[in-house]
Amino acid sequence: MLTAMQCDHCDSKATVFFTQIIGSSSKKSSLCEKCASEKGVTDPEGFVSDDVDLSSALEQAASMPHIPEGLATSTQAVTKEPGNHLCPGCGFAFDDLKKTGRLGCSQCYQFFREEIKLNLEGMHKDTCHVGRVPAGMLEAFQYQQKLEKLEQKKAAAIAAEDYEKAGALHEEIEKLSAESQEGSPTTNTEP
Amino acid sequence: MMRFSTLLKHPADWMIGADSDSAVVLTSRIRLARNVRDTPFPGWARKSERIDILSKLRPAIEDLSEMKNAFSHSLGELTSVQKQVLVERHLISREQAARSEGSAVVVNRAQTLSVMINEEDHLRLQSIRSGLHLQEAYELIANVDEQLEKELPYAFDHELGYMTACPTNLGTGLRASAMLHLPGLVISDHISQVIQAVGKLGLAVRGIFGEGTESLGHLFQISNQSTLGESEKTIISRLERVIRKIRDHERNARLKLVEDDPQMIADKIARAYGLLKYAYVIDSKEALNHISLVRLGADMGCFPQETLQLCDSLLMDIEPAHLQHHAKRKLTPEERDTLRSEIMRSRLQNLPSPIISFIKNPNTD
Repeated sequence: MLTAMQCDHCDSKATVFFTQIIGSSSKKSSLCEKCASEKGVTDPEGFVSDDVDLSSALEQAASMPHIPEGLATSTQAVTKEPGNHLCPGCGFAFDDLKKTGRLGCSQCYQFFREEIKLNLEGMHKDTCHVGRVPAGMLEAFQYQQKLEKLEQKKAAAIAAEDYEKAGALHEEIEKLSAESQEGSPTTNTEP
Repeated sequence: MMRFSTLLKHPADWMIGADSDSAVVLTSRIRLARNVRDTPFPGWARKSERIDILSKLRPAIEDLSEMKNAFSHSLGELTSVQKQVLVERHLISREQAARSEGSAVVVNRAQTLSVMINEEDHLRLQSIRSGLHLQEAYELIANVDEQLEKELPYAFDHELGYMTACPTNLGTGLRASAMLHLPGLVISDHISQVIQAVGKLGLAVRGIFGEGTESLGHLFQISNQSTLGESEKTIISRLERVIRKIRDHERNARLKLVEDDPQMIADKIARAYGLLKYAYVIDSKEALNHISLVRLGADMGCFPQETLQLCDSLLMDIEPAHLQHHAKRKLTPEERDTLRSEIMRSRLQNLPSPIISFIKNPNTD
């Protein structure tokens, strides 16, 4: 229900996110593809945001914009900084977790999952959730698990050249996915 | 919609010790942290994003059946004194009080449920009850959570549970806590042992206003620290077990003080009474510590039963923001100390001198 992130300069959907580090402060930007190329974001030498002091920016030229892999269309122009990845969802840098103790958005947990899990030991009783699961998500999770199991069985049947069994499993998978599409998983009660 | 003045005029039952057994455990509190997925957490979101998130979350909260005719305000609409009053009433956190436009607070009429929008997380749901009733407080909040999860796309992960801005709240996102009055353990010098033991069980002990605050008035807040890897039920029942134990220790400590040194304890209670009743200048710390002793006296039968409630309402009414709200203007610390003593004298005007029945053979005879 919440809208996707908007470009800082126009109303289009932002697809390029980056953080600039100027001295000790950092500045987040979200741009759409068009504005990004107009502003020269994809050119590491060319981009300076309007409200950033040019001289201090030049002093810090080494830490100029870094665009996460797979997001911008022309990332080739950007020199990659190892160890300072940014969350593709919100542009949060993992290193900032050490400073603020907080993450940027829920996608950060997907993107930095392994690093975060290392920090969880000693903080909590365990590293895997036990307890309440939001309604709908439980069904979606069970559905996904069921589907994965069937797919595995099917692959095993094919590998064993048991095509009759594989065919039956295939039908079962089709039936399961048809069922899940009939009612939305949030309102669908277990049969 | 409920107005600020209405909220203030009618303190919640739990603020004035409605439970018959709130002498040691004043209140029980449950809070849940919840976020919407794929949306920046409040601390990382731009102001415009926070305003956008708020505009979507606030109607969902206001539409809850529990929130009929609720108190609902943006932090930007409230004055700093009003925000501080809400902190002193434990309806919002100090962190939320520092926020303005883009954050809001919604409190139900009974003030048993309060929801902070865009605090550290998108939603902080909190339920408070008088006495030791963590389970009841949890039931109310779980019911609200179930209603909200139908409306809002919660950020949830099967491995990490509810995803929160701070990894310390992952999993259940649940913090259960209780406010305890432990003058017996403090006076008998057993409190540090208790705090150490509680710490070893993975629970946290804090002062009256939560994280980083000093313990005043012999009041302590005890809460769980771990939120991941255990179910809500396990967390709550363990905390409840520990709190029952501490409550027993406190009761024993009170009995032992009366047995071992009745004069000393009578002297403390009677002096506290005299000081509160006759002082003309009193700072917050001194007032809290003496209210605590009068409260102890009430539990020991030195004062009428209703004195416990009188003490509990005094505990909040003498806080700085409450005083400034009462005076309708900003007060210097000196002015506050004078006004505090005025309020104290008037409230204690009809309180009779302590009856010290536990001294069997007074030496004065």
